[in-house]
Amino acid sequence: MTEKTMVKGNEAMAEAAIRAGCRLYFGYPITPQSEFTEYMAKRLPEVGGSFLQSESEVSAVNMIYGAACTGRRVLTSTSGPGFSLMQEGMSYIAGAELPSVFVNVVRGGPGLGDIQPAQSDYFQATKGGGHGDYHAVVLGPGTIQEAVELISDAFDIADRYRTPVIVLADGMLGQMMEPVIFGKYRDPDSLPDHSEWSLTGAGKREPHKVTSFNIDPYELEKMNMRYQAKYKEIIKNETRYETIRTEDADYLLVGFGTMGRILGSVIRQAREQGIKVGLFRPITLWPFPYDQLKKSAKGKKYVLDVEMSTGQMVEDVRLAVGDSLPVHFYGRTGGVVPNPEEVLQALRKHTEEAE
Amino acid sequence: MLEKHVHVLMGMFGSGKTEISLNLAACIRQERNPVAIVDADIVSPYFRSRDLTEVFAEDNVEIIAPKGAFRIADLPTIPARVRGVLQSYDYSIVVDAGGNDYGAVVLSSISGDINVRQSAVYFVINPFRPFTDTVNKTVEHLSRLSRRARLRVDYLINNANLGNETAESDILTGERFVEAVSEASGIPVAMTCVMNGTEVSGNSFPLFRMKKYLKTPWEV
Repeated sequence: MTEKTMVKGNEAMAEAAIRAGCRLYFGYPITPQSEFTEYMAKRLPEVGGSFLQSESEVSAVNMIYGAACTGRRVLTSTSGPGFSLMQEGMSYIAGAELPSVFVNVVRGGPGLGDIQPAQSDYFQATKGGGHGDYHAVVLGPGTIQEAVELISDAFDIADRYRTPVIVLADGMLGQMMEPVIFGKYRDPDSLPDHSEWSLTGAGKREPHKVTSFNIDPYELEKMNMRYQAKYKEIIKNETRYETIRTEDADYLLVGFGTMGRILGSVIRQAREQGIKVGLFRPITLWPFPYDQLKKSAKGKKYVLDVEMSTGQMVEDVRLAVGDSLPVHFYGRTGGVVPNPEEVLQALRKHTEEAE
Repeated sequence: MLEKHVHVLMGMFGSGKTEISLNLAACIRQERNPVAIVDADIVSPYFRSRDLTEVFAEDNVEIIAPKGAFRIADLPTIPARVRGVLQSYDYSIVVDAGGNDYGAVVLSSISGDINVRQSAVYFVINPFRPFTDTVNKTVEHLSRLSRRARLRVDYLINNANLGNETAESDILTGERFVEAVSEASGIPVAMTCVMNGTEVSGNSFPLFRMKKYLKTPWEV
């Protein structure tokens, strides 16, 4: 057959992880990401990997913690309620500086919420979630093809900086189907060498220690300073975004993930109606592209941020843009996905006000 | 084939059963009344027949699925009305069960109500999907699902597609693939599905032209 395959987002991200050399998966099924877990259950034994369905997300995250200590590529996937249960472990993993990849296929919250798509876990992903001064890198794919590529990049970033990386998808991206091209299989034995710190059995060498703990405050402060230095490097090297038709635009739309895609349709329709609008789509949600957004927003009449939440990323948009121009917000929540027409209406309303 | 009383769509997860069910019902409705779609999908949380309930009601096609809040819950429930409708000969019925073994188990629970002589059972194949990318694997899944569903497959359907990127050559590649499955299984091919007016010529099987009902928010 051709090199393209027709896949659901959940299946695509799972296959991408296998291609990236991940052979360890621990997780617990939850709608709308269950196909991810199921795909791994079927595929990992075929490639000599280990799949384990844990008794809860609390145990899954601690399995990730343990497995990541070996320096091997490890991943879990979940949705909001499950990801909340994982936050204690996330903090430990960030503190212990362990490469690992987490996929959150976000659904409506808070609490049990519902099973429809949402982006309301943005704060949780980008501002911590767990305790302590830590960050996880957060990637927000807009298409299934991009999700496939970002899963691979997530492992590389995790390895390079010894950090957890979160891929923040949403139910729509997990459930929809699109044709994708997968990357080549990477041999798990050819991946970055972590033998300097990984726990592989000391034998005759000095034992390694992996921990997020130090009882001496001065020593713990030093550990924190090391994390912060690393975050600075990540901000410098890994910040990513995409712009569409921003140069000649009078107004700037901002949205990430699936919402960025819907805004793509909005731009086409708005331009047909003579409204010159462009799109700024952050791809890394942490580090957030503050400087780049500031530059793109310069000279525009306003910014309209659209999210599947009551307004979370908009706080970062305001931090980037400052008081230089108005920042408006439009959002739907509870699993309702804004359609292009209602965004266009919001756009027309703000345009009239601005004129 | 289309004169049958009940049409059952079987297949692997994501092979296109729901889109075909909706189109099949719309096609049958042009000839007959009343028509019902049984949405017995207990697997998929999104992109289900029941999402089109109001649209199809306008054309007097009833979509039978859990009602009220249960319509959007991911609970494995099958409305009691399904058996009633299957046992009555008033309706022409399209049965859209979920994919894989879960769907087959649901079919097996209602297979006793499906009159074999009055029904056509189809196995939908998209060779661009994982797990049905070789003839052997496809035949294996087909036999297993058929056993689980306690229903004999009467026809194969070629639904080779890459979504909006589907080219004529993909559809024809699919025909050769499904032909090989047909040879290996002894089951004839009913048709080749074509979405949104893609130009196809030199096809071996009758074309079934479809309209896309299950759209993403940016396709609306």
